[in-house]
Amino acid sequence: MDAEREARRAGWRLIRAATGPQWTWVTAGIAAGAVWTVARLVVPQLAGAAVDDGIRSEDTQRVFVLIVAMLAFGIMQAGASGVRRYCAFRIALRTETDLRAQLFAHLQRLHFAFHDEAQTGQLMARANSDLQQINQVVILIPLTAASLLTMLGVVVIMVSKSVVLAVLALGLLPLLNRAATVFSRRITPVNLALQQELSGLSGVVEESLSGIRVVKGFGAERMQNERLAARADAVYERSLQAARMRAWFMPLIDLLPTISLVAIIWYGGHLVLDGRLEIGDILAYNLYVAMLIWPLRMVGMLIAQASRASAAAGRIHEVLATDPEVADPEHPVPLPPGPGDLRFEGVSFAYATGRRVLDGLELHLRGGEAVAIVGATGSGKTTVARLVPRFYDVAAGRVVLDGVDVRELSVAALRDEVGIVFEDTFLFSDSVRHNIAFSDPGAPFELVERAARLAGAHGFIAALPDGYDTVIGEHGYSLSGGQRQRIAIARAVLHDPRVLILDDATSAVDPSKEHEIRAALAEVMDNRTTLIIAHRPATIALADRVVLLDDGRAVASGSHEELLATSERYREVLARIEDDEAAAEGSPT
Amino acid sequence: MRGGWIESGPLDEESRIDRAAARRVVLRLARMLRPQRRAVLVATGLLVVQTAALLAGPLIVRWGVDAGLVGRNGRVVNLAALAYLVVALLGAGFGRAVIWSVSRTGEQFLRGLRTRVFRHLTGLDLGFFEREKTGRLVARMTSDIDALQELVSQGLVMFVQNVLIFVGTLVVITLLSWELTLCTIVIVPPLLAASIWFRNRSNSAYLQVRDSISSNLSTLQEGLEGVRVVQAYGREGGFIERFEATNEAQYEANIETVRIATRYFPIVEFTGVLGIAVVVGVGSVLVGNDALEVGTVLAFVLYLSNLFEPIQQLSQLYNTLQSAGAALAKIFGLLDTPNSVPERPGAVDLPPSGALEVAGVTFAYGGGPPDTDGVEHPLGPTVLDAVSITVAPGERVALVGPTGAGKSTLAKLMARFYDPLAGDVSYGGVSLRDATRVSLRERIVVVPQEGFLFAGTLRDNIRVGDPDADDARIEAAVDALGLREHFESLPEGLDTEVRERGSRLSAGEKQLVSLARAALADPTVLVLDEATSNLDPGTELEVERALEALTEGRTVVVVAHRLSTAARCDRVAVVDDGRILELGSHDELVALGGRYATLFAAWTRSA
Repeated sequence: MDAEREARRAGWRLIRAATGPQWTWVTAGIAAGAVWTVARLVVPQLAGAAVDDGIRSEDTQRVFVLIVAMLAFGIMQAGASGVRRYCAFRIALRTETDLRAQLFAHLQRLHFAFHDEAQTGQLMARANSDLQQINQVVILIPLTAASLLTMLGVVVIMVSKSVVLAVLALGLLPLLNRAATVFSRRITPVNLALQQELSGLSGVVEESLSGIRVVKGFGAERMQNERLAARADAVYERSLQAARMRAWFMPLIDLLPTISLVAIIWYGGHLVLDGRLEIGDILAYNLYVAMLIWPLRMVGMLIAQASRASAAAGRIHEVLATDPEVADPEHPVPLPPGPGDLRFEGVSFAYATGRRVLDGLELHLRGGEAVAIVGATGSGKTTVARLVPRFYDVAAGRVVLDGVDVRELSVAALRDEVGIVFEDTFLFSDSVRHNIAFSDPGAPFELVERAARLAGAHGFIAALPDGYDTVIGEHGYSLSGGQRQRIAIARAVLHDPRVLILDDATSAVDPSKEHEIRAALAEVMDNRTTLIIAHRPATIALADRVVLLDDGRAVASGSHEELLATSERYREVLARIEDDEAAAEGSPT
Repeated sequence: MRGGWIESGPLDEESRIDRAAARRVVLRLARMLRPQRRAVLVATGLLVVQTAALLAGPLIVRWGVDAGLVGRNGRVVNLAALAYLVVALLGAGFGRAVIWSVSRTGEQFLRGLRTRVFRHLTGLDLGFFEREKTGRLVARMTSDIDALQELVSQGLVMFVQNVLIFVGTLVVITLLSWELTLCTIVIVPPLLAASIWFRNRSNSAYLQVRDSISSNLSTLQEGLEGVRVVQAYGREGGFIERFEATNEAQYEANIETVRIATRYFPIVEFTGVLGIAVVVGVGSVLVGNDALEVGTVLAFVLYLSNLFEPIQQLSQLYNTLQSAGAALAKIFGLLDTPNSVPERPGAVDLPPSGALEVAGVTFAYGGGPPDTDGVEHPLGPTVLDAVSITVAPGERVALVGPTGAGKSTLAKLMARFYDPLAGDVSYGGVSLRDATRVSLRERIVVVPQEGFLFAGTLRDNIRVGDPDADDARIEAAVDALGLREHFESLPEGLDTEVRERGSRLSAGEKQLVSLARAALADPTVLVLDEATSNLDPGTELEVERALEALTEGRTVVVVAHRLSTAARCDRVAVVDDGRILELGSHDELVALGGRYATLFAAWTRSA
């Protein structure tokens, strides 16, 4: 409970901080709101005075002056209203936009461990619906402030003439606010239930249409028709439930202000007869009541919205308050030139879930050496790969590149010298060319093509509809898994790093095509320190040396043949990997 | 002073409708509402009374002011206040009745429309579903009818009420003082013009907002899903810049709508003041000249909002009406799609048993009516060319041949998924064209290639074969195929929810469900389309055994992809180029040394 309060408070602080830079607009909005309120309060007074003058038929000259004044205030009101509105929306939209940019920038820099835990959908909600909640409340705050001012003015004016009349005329109006709140609270669950029924109905439609061959083949049309009719009945019932509520509340919400008018006619009328009020005042009061309807409903909206917005802002704050765990050291050491000599010295690592993956790992890759790491599922192979570019930091020990602990380098400098190809390749909705030249968008085309050739990707890229300019990714041309991996390899090749890491990077490549890539990879790996995480013996064969990882340590090292000959565990692990692969592919062995 | 402000979404090209089409839609809608005309009349009556109550208020105020205040009569003031209260309460009461009766009538109509459209849809021939995209058909039943739902639940009452109030107010104030009305009415055209301008401008601006949001969201999503690659290559800066560009574009699109609103709403506010100024100014002068009573001026001021609000609201409702009209037009288009394999009037039941006879059948796809987009589908190449074959009761016939040879089409014609262009298909001497739909599916059942599962339990899915079957019959059908043990090994046996996570059935298991359906349907003729893909080895054997049990004692036509299946049948028909090239038992055809023998030889070698 306390944690939630604290989160909400942090949320409000965030909203305040985000609206802070908008202070000129806030000031302008408030000033415009004040002008707007004054003009609005004055207009009915002038109208009332004009009517009274007309009755007394004094002189039409004065009526004329009053009308001109009214129009002047009308223009003032309209102008101020426009400014107020623009300011309110601008502040809100600016706040939303800035917070979204801030959130995105922060997310881009947050460490892998954070992204391992977070779900994309939830982060999307932070940047989308949560920010909209904040937007809504920021809009409402200045609008409501002016509305409150209006209400205050109306109350003061009416009370100054007659307290009883003010009470009679305005007493019921707060109920309007209450009724609107109750209505929205009651109808929300019904509307949600209705949405659910509607989606159930569309579920029946969808499956009937996608299974139309079954429906037709078995003559199940009647059955599906009945299922749909049942859903349609449920929708009908829910809709009527919502209609019943609307039928109760909508007329009530319209009725309350009318009752105020009745009070003004009745009690105000008698005040006129007693000579304590002018007929023109009756007119003015009528106009005032009409003026209060929206402000009252808006206050209710603001209260509901404020609670939603502070919760939303609290959630956003939580993300923004998470510091990147992998950051530059205070005084980064420049990386000296070197062959890419890579050492793991007594490295231990555990994931946030607590599972200890590496336990005092000792491993040395000489500059230019290609080492394959083999281990059973969960043995920590991938973790070894991810510690090099500091996707995670070691819990104990250190990872040393060309004599420098990777934590002493700036993250950018380190990652500039480490290229990694992930097992699950991610391509961006962009051209093939830009996907390959990802690390260096300005790379000349010859380099891009060379990288593609080395990755064995040039052939199929050239055959794409627009060649290297073909847009791929989620919204573009879809490639096979193997093709995607080859583009990812090209990406790493173009990056031209000291240390290349291939994390199961050819797993989706069709075995019949694999030999093409192998030849190309051999060229890429020449004179480059390479760490290969591999399953297939063919890929393992690319390495100069194989290291067997077991229980978080390197337990054996040597050539593939040596290990096969000497290590029982190595044979076991390889056999199990083969079994797993066969099972995953579902093909009979 | 009426209910809320209706927010309708922006209108894109898809949801527009022209005047002529709108007229047709409205006329047809009126015809469709005929059975509910009593309810419609009642609702209209209630609406008129409610509007009258609303319009009476200012008249009472006028009387109270003139006879009570100016005439200095306290009793009149009391009476006027009381009358106003009564009228207001009546108005609220009738308002409640209006919302309720319109909603009920509208929802009844929608319920009827939903079931009717769906019934029509499921009744259409298979050719229709091959022409149309599923997504579009789903949209007819969902987003299009939802657009109508929005109209029924919010827009309709508001629309009619606003029209009534506007017209009613105009009539009343003209009767009160035509001079003052004339002066007031001058304000209406500029407000109308501004409202129409606003509607059009904000519509295109909101479409822009919609696009900018979706492109910003996809940049966002990509940045999040690809964050590991971005970090691995140190490209955070570039991505942040890229996101800032789409983020700012979203801001710009949004602020544009604000700018448009900033121009419009002040005009509305000023019009309000201008109206009051005109009424009060002109009115006061007229009162001063004793040409008008002061109460009339008050009443006019109260009536002003009745003139202005409808204009704003109607211009907003326009979008809701447009999209509802466009949706209805699309729905009507669907309802007008004829069924190309209809049940003819006076259709007869198929006899309980008999031979399935295909006589001189010619067929080509296409040639039907244009699809709901108006795209023509001309008659394609001939798929079957004067094909004849008779399947005796209890006989198993396999159709083999290369892909596209016409064997699946022949099977579909045997079940009357289509009608032949020439020739006839009959069962027990009765043409399938003359058969009732129900008896057709009782005799001839088609088991499709892939076992499609509906949401629900395994039991519900088997029941598709015969909706009236009780649990005992379902279990009997499962037993008959020897599948009880398999199904009961699932987490909750036959009550397992098939679409739930964790209880995903394998392709083979889906086939088993499909076969169990067929066993429950218990037809005399089975048309089977054999699965092309390999099933999981575990269930493959079971599928084969169940198939054996299912086909026992039935007439079977199987589209065979594996020659092992063909070899088990009584006769094999080799179909190619729309003709039956060879027909005979497996052994005969192998001995014949023709196409089948070649195929068989190739197959035995590869196996």
